[in-house]
Amino acid sequence: MAIRKQIYTWELWGDGGDGTDITHYPRGGESHSIFYGSFGAVQAGQQTGLVKENEFVVIERIASKPGISPNSFIVTGVAPNRQLVSWLPNMFVNLIIDTTNYYQDPQNVYAVGISGLASPYPKQIGDEPYYELWPPVYVLPHQTLDVRYTLYNDITLSAGAGSWDVIPITTMMAAVYVEYTLYNGTDAMMAQKLMKLGIPVTVGSVENYRRMLLESKGLETDTFQHYLKLVQSEEEREKKERKNQGLARYTQYHSE
Amino acid sequence: MSLRRQAYEWRNLSDGGTTSFLNGYPVLWTNNANTVGFSANQPVDVFIGDIGNNIDIPGQLKAFQYIVLDAVAVFPPTLHAQIYVGTSRYFQDPDNVPSRDGGISGFAVPFPNGAGWVNSGGSIVNLINYDFTKGLMPPIIIEPGQVWGVEVTSSVNVASVVNTATEQQIQKCFVKYLLIDGADCLVAKRLLEAGWPLTVENIWAYKQDLFKTHLYAGLAPLPDKVEKATRKV
Repeated sequence: MAIRKQIYTWELWGDGGDGTDITHYPRGGESHSIFYGSFGAVQAGQQTGLVKENEFVVIERIASKPGISPNSFIVTGVAPNRQLVSWLPNMFVNLIIDTTNYYQDPQNVYAVGISGLASPYPKQIGDEPYYELWPPVYVLPHQTLDVRYTLYNDITLSAGAGSWDVIPITTMMAAVYVEYTLYNGTDAMMAQKLMKLGIPVTVGSVENYRRMLLESKGLETDTFQHYLKLVQSEEEREKKERKNQGLARYTQYHSE
Repeated sequence: MSLRRQAYEWRNLSDGGTTSFLNGYPVLWTNNANTVGFSANQPVDVFIGDIGNNIDIPGQLKAFQYIVLDAVAVFPPTLHAQIYVGTSRYFQDPDNVPSRDGGISGFAVPFPNGAGWVNSGGSIVNLINYDFTKGLMPPIIIEPGQVWGVEVTSSVNVASVVNTATEQQIQKCFVKYLLIDGADCLVAKRLLEAGWPLTVENIWAYKQDLFKTHLYAGLAPLPDKVEKATRKV
């Protein structure tokens, strides 16, 4: 299992209350991590994503729940049991690698990220994505990865408007989706080698590299011959250089 | 992170106090979502137009940056988008005057793709972007030092909505571009000089060639002139 397509999702559901619980719902305009933040389904250990020394990560897609207006919600039932069944979070999501944000605005200042309208999750029939994370983002060994979301519709303040009585635990309030390929072990080494040669790290390119290594037990015959020739000529060049510089002994160049 | 796919999104929302909101988006809540109105045929700059979310200064590229602007989209369909670089406007009418409508309309490039729009008959129509699925072809290349931006123009008067703005009433504009900076900017310059399209794939290919050449150059024999040079004492 050296190359694995991974998916990480974060979701925030209703708490069965009226929406005023500030320990359950993040406030509008605040940025939180989907890995270790205080809200929603985060990792039990609440750690940021650290890429280990034998791993290589290629992030291919990030998305979040679409919708802007806090007035375009859907409520069913009658008072005092009006249930909020659909909510638009007005959210953005950003990638942070070590201390660098991926997204910046046209004045070169860090931006909040990509919106759910541009890159929606979960997708419905009418949702056609406008945004693709291309080129993909490489996260190298020992780098930390964080994915942060910001909601611009404040759920707690909205609850104060009195438009509903209950947010059921089945109502999805916000969601984030991250899709990436995890290379580990020897595949991570190959991924790093390919990256250093400027070759895109894809499942295909890593598998092809591995095939090349296995077929020729090291190198392709042609490539091996090429490098052998180059190394021999380099040895010859060094020898002549030492002779020209007067560093080589007579026994090394004889009567040349 | 020298090749990054960036996006900028504009909405005519405000925090209720002023007409614009700088460097971010206003926090909204139920019965507190305000939009800012503007007149028909009045161009509004999405970066510095003083309506909706804005930034402090116009978009201007640094000496080590290139931008490949490949997509723009708007909503509702009555909104149009015009891209400008310096003093030139991208969309023009057949008589060579910058588009009088204000550029490409939301019928051609709806945002989001598949957006539901309530037509005059009250029915919801889902608008799909078919013609520009790959964005503008060829894309617009903005070079170091150039000033650029996007203006939106509505073909109808857009009324302000106080507190009760719904999804359909919010005017939106989406701009997507590839930001090339740092060492990749030099590669982009060489590609442009050679007449190659500025794509992620071409930049990668050029860098691969560069690596390969340098790898071989380090191991290659010296030219005869150097090798056969007479010994100098």
